[in-house]
Amino acid sequence: MANVLVVDDSGTVRDEVASFLRGAGMDVATAVDGNDGLAKLRTDPRIKLVVADVNMPNMDGLTMAEKIRSELRNATVNIIMLTTESSPNMKERGKAAGVKGWIVKPFKGAAVVESFKKLVG
Amino acid sequence: MNQKPVSKILVLDKSSVHNRTIKEFCDANGLVPLKARKSTVMAVLRTNIDLGGILYSDDFGDTPEETVQLALDIHAARPELPIFMRCDSQSSQTGLENKLDQIICATYLADGMEKLRDAINRYIFCVMYPNALLRGISEITTSVLTNQFQNLTVTVDTPYIVRDRVIFGELFSLIPLESAWCRGFMMLQAEATPLMAMANGRSAIPAQPTFREVNDLLGEITNLIWGAFKNRYIGDNQASLSRVVQVPIIVNHNHRYISFGSENPQLCFHLRLTDQVTGSCFSIYERFIFNLSWSPDDFMEIPQEVNQLIASGELELF
Repeated sequence: MANVLVVDDSGTVRDEVASFLRGAGMDVATAVDGNDGLAKLRTDPRIKLVVADVNMPNMDGLTMAEKIRSELRNATVNIIMLTTESSPNMKERGKAAGVKGWIVKPFKGAAVVESFKKLVG
Repeated sequence: MNQKPVSKILVLDKSSVHNRTIKEFCDANGLVPLKARKSTVMAVLRTNIDLGGILYSDDFGDTPEETVQLALDIHAARPELPIFMRCDSQSSQTGLENKLDQIICATYLADGMEKLRDAINRYIFCVMYPNALLRGISEITTSVLTNQFQNLTVTVDTPYIVRDRVIFGELFSLIPLESAWCRGFMMLQAEATPLMAMANGRSAIPAQPTFREVNDLLGEITNLIWGAFKNRYIGDNQASLSRVVQVPIIVNHNHRYISFGSENPQLCFHLRLTDQVTGSCFSIYERFIFNLSWSPDDFMEIPQEVNQLIASGELELF
């Protein structure tokens, strides 16, 4: 059982982020796209934080965020987008979907680990 | 860095007298000359993947027949490369034009370099690239590669224009570029073995990486460059309705050839990643192919509000 879910189609990013967060004492699960992320969330109620890419095959990260709120009716999980995107429109869509925060890649773990720990609780 | 693109051009001309003229012409017109002998022409064509064109002379062969045959062979091997032929006289210019008119894009006389300049501008430097774009791509790519590979020094050559369609290395990535001012693709090319060796222990992928992990690394590098390109030059601008237009991309593995359905020259950046301790080095070629739409007059950099800037890697809480 995990308290953080890392969703990214890039195995390099997935492993890098998961490895860093595990090193910081978090329990981390991973998913390869939005569909996989929704499936993992359905089966693991301990997940408190989702760190997701935007551009992914099958289901993008923003659509996944919208479905977490609308289909899973999960209003409590914190969603952070970790992406190369930084356009205001994308961020607005994220905010509307209940995304809590936005990180523009590359991932720099030390810059965000304390915030992540607070979000995990 | 000089922001005016250059182009590598193969010089097949035996005239020692004219060679100096060609050298001066190349220096003055953004061309990087590469010489080859008759016996090495085909090998040079096979190994140089980033040529813009060929300067050919009408006496390059030992006989007129050999000159014609060699030109035909060159064209058969690399039909995408424009051939500019220097003729000894107006009469031979006309005579060879008849025999080679299907494959020679322009002829010129030794004392008529203006005609060659016009042809070079028409066939190689026919697409204008904004300086801000060239500078920005270099900055973005260098930054991404520096972040991805620890302890490697990244250098980038002056951007250059290529006409060939030959694929470098065994590994390449493609990602679409869609905006109101450009439509096409960005392509990264690399040799798998050196990339795998240099990534080992210096990047985010595991030690002793498999080919799939190296594929993934190139994919993420592509993604990071693409994202930074979009944030800097595209923003929320939507491409016009013509974005529904697409053309097939053809890859011929046997000939290591990729066609985007357009004869347009491509913009190429050659990145070198060097380990300063061991001296070992590998290359990544980055090409921009604006085959679907190109409107440099509409090019713009997305202005960033200083108070809205969040450094990459930092969390922006909503």
